[in-house]
Amino acid sequence: MSSTGGYARIVVDELTKVYEPSPLWMRALVRTNIKEPVHALNGVSFTVGTGEIVAVVGPNGAGKTTTFKILVGLTTPTAGSASVMGFDSIRESVEVRRSIGWMPGDHRSLLMRHSVIENLRFHGRLQGMSGQPLIRKIRETLEMVGLERRARSNGFSLSAGMLARLQLARALLHDPEILILDEPTGAVDPVAAHDLIQLIKEIVAERGMAALISSHRLEEIETLDSRVLLLDHGRIRYDGRLDELRRIWDKPTLQIGFRSTASADAAAQTLKEAGFASVSRKDGSVTFPLESGVSHADVLARLRGQIEDMTDLSESHRPLQTVLAELYRTDPEGSEGGGPTGAQPGNSGQVSPVSRRERARPADLRGDEGAADPASVEGGEEVER
Amino acid sequence: MSTRKTQMSTRQAVVATATAFFRVDVIEEANYPISFAMRLLGVVAPLIPFFFISKLVGNSPEVGGDYLTFTVIGLAMTALLTAAMVGFGNTLQQSFQRGTMETFLIEPVPWTAIPLAMNQWQVMNGLIYTVLLMGAGWVLGAHYQLGGVGAAILIALLGITAGLAIGIVSAAVLLLTLKSTPVIRIYDIAASLLAGSLFSVAQLPGWAQALSVVLPHTYVINGVRTALMADPGSYEISLTRAVVSLGVFDVVVFAFGIWLWRRTLEYSRKIGLLGGY
Repeated sequence: MSSTGGYARIVVDELTKVYEPSPLWMRALVRTNIKEPVHALNGVSFTVGTGEIVAVVGPNGAGKTTTFKILVGLTTPTAGSASVMGFDSIRESVEVRRSIGWMPGDHRSLLMRHSVIENLRFHGRLQGMSGQPLIRKIRETLEMVGLERRARSNGFSLSAGMLARLQLARALLHDPEILILDEPTGAVDPVAAHDLIQLIKEIVAERGMAALISSHRLEEIETLDSRVLLLDHGRIRYDGRLDELRRIWDKPTLQIGFRSTASADAAAQTLKEAGFASVSRKDGSVTFPLESGVSHADVLARLRGQIEDMTDLSESHRPLQTVLAELYRTDPEGSEGGGPTGAQPGNSGQVSPVSRRERARPADLRGDEGAADPASVEGGEEVER
Repeated sequence: MSTRKTQMSTRQAVVATATAFFRVDVIEEANYPISFAMRLLGVVAPLIPFFFISKLVGNSPEVGGDYLTFTVIGLAMTALLTAAMVGFGNTLQQSFQRGTMETFLIEPVPWTAIPLAMNQWQVMNGLIYTVLLMGAGWVLGAHYQLGGVGAAILIALLGITAGLAIGIVSAAVLLLTLKSTPVIRIYDIAASLLAGSLFSVAQLPGWAQALSVVLPHTYVINGVRTALMADPGSYEISLTRAVVSLGVFDVVVFAFGIWLWRRTLEYSRKIGLLGGY
C-alpha cells in the first residue's frame, strides 16, 4: 500500500546510490570527472499510489534525477531497490520501461526535424503499436494535449509550450500506468506551465495513473497541490502534503494597527514581555512573526488592554520559496542548532509537527514551566485555524 | 496490430526498432534532398581525377592492366566499409548532441538492437555510394566480369558485417568517452592504404603487407577485384580465402562488439553516464 492508502505503483525502498570514481587506468578514457565517491542517494524510501501525484523537490544535487534515472533503468542503485508496477527496475527493466511514460525537461529529446505525428509514430512503434490503431491513438492523444492542429508541424516550428505538450503526448501515447516528469515545464512560460500542470493533474486523475514530477518552480508545486517529497543531499527531508509543510514551517507575520503611536508602543511592550520575539513597531502599527501554535486569540488575549485602540489586524504569509530555503538551511539531523525545524531523517523523513510547535511557542503560552503538551497545542491550533 | 502495448517478443522488438529507426532516418534524409544530392556528388567526384590518372598509369600488370577498374573497385569497397564502420559512431554522437539518446534508451526495446537499428540508413548510404561509384566507373570505361557479381555481393555483405562489427566496438568506446571517431577515422585511412584501394598491396613493403593481412578491408577490396576483374593484378586473393577470412572475422569481432557494447552499457549505467550527455 502506498502512503496514501492506494495500491503502490512505485515502491522505492532504502535506495542508495554512490557514484564511484572509475579505476585509475580508466580515467583517461571515461568522461567523468568524479575523483571521490559521490553519495547521490542515501536510504531513500517512498511509495506512490494509484491516482497520486508526488512532487519531488530539492536543490541541485539533492538526488531527484538519480532517483528518476534508477526508476527508468538508466542507472543502477548501489543498495536498496525500486520497483514499478511490481517490476524490479533493474532486473525487469524492459517491463518497467513499458509501464512508464517519461517526459524529460529538455525538449531536445524530441526528433526536432520531424513532424509531431512522426515523433509519436516513432515512439508508438518502439512501444509495440502499429497500423491504423496507432494512427487513431496518435490522433486521440494529440487532441488530449491540444496539438491536433499542429500534427504536421515540424519540431523546430513549435513553441516551447507546444514542445512540452508534444513531450507529454509522447509520454501518454502508450497508455502507461506511471508518469515520470523531470522538470516538464523547464522551458515554458508561466502561463503555459500552469496550463500544462493543470492538464497533467486532470489526466492523472482521469486515468488513475501514478505520477512523479520534479520541478524547481515552486508556484507549480503549489498548483499541483499534491504530496511533496523534499530531497536534500540524497535524503528525504519531508514527505507529506504541501499545505501541511506550510502549516508546520511557515511563520506568518501579524500586523496590528492602532489609533495612536502610544497605543502601538504599549502593545509592542506587552508582546515583548509575553515572550514574543522580533516585535517591531512602525508608526501606528506593530509587526511580529506569529509562531506556530500561537493563535490570533492568544495574541488578542495578551493585548486585551489595547483592543479598543486597534484599527486592523492582518496576517501575511511568507513565499513558499522562503519557507523551503529555511528548511534546507537547517541541520538535516534535526539538532537544536539547526533552527526551528524538527525535521527528522529516516522514516520517510516526515517532519515532526508537534516538536516544532512546542519549541516555537512563546514561553508563557506553553503552560506550566513550558512543558510540552502536544494535545493542548494541537487543540489550540484547531481552534484557531 | 494493436493500440495497446503487448508483450513483444525479442524478434518483434528488434523488427519494430529496425523499422522505426529506418523510417525516421529516411524521412530526415528526404527533408534535405539537396544535402543528399551534394553528398552523392561528393562521393562520385573523386573518381574523375583517377580517370585521368588511369590514362597516365596505362596498363601496368601490377593493377591487372586496368587501373581504372582496379581503382573504382578499391574506392567503392572502401566507401561501403567506411559507411558501415563509422555510421553508428556518427549517429550515436549525433544523438548525444541532439539529446535524443536518453529517450531511445527508455524505450522498451533491447539495447543491443539499438546500434544496428541506428546504423541501417548509414549502411544503405554505403550501398548507394558503392553502386553509384561502380556505375560511374562503368560510364568512364571500367570493365566488370558479370560472372563474378554473385561472389562480389557475398564478399561485400561479409565486408559490411565486418564494418558493422568494428563500428560497434568503436561505438562501445564512444559511449564511455564521447569521442572515438578520430580513432576510427585514422583506422579507416590506414586500412584503405594497407588494403590497397588505390594501388596493389604487392607494392607495399613487407612489414606493411604483413599488417594488411589482418584487415578485413584487404579481403573485401582484393576479393571483389578477384571476382569482378579478369586479372586482379599482382596481389590476388582467392575467393575462398576472402570468404573464409571475412567469415571468421565477422563471427569473432561481431560477437566481441555486441558483448563489449552490452558491457559498456552496463558499466555506463552503473557509473551514471546514461542519460547524462
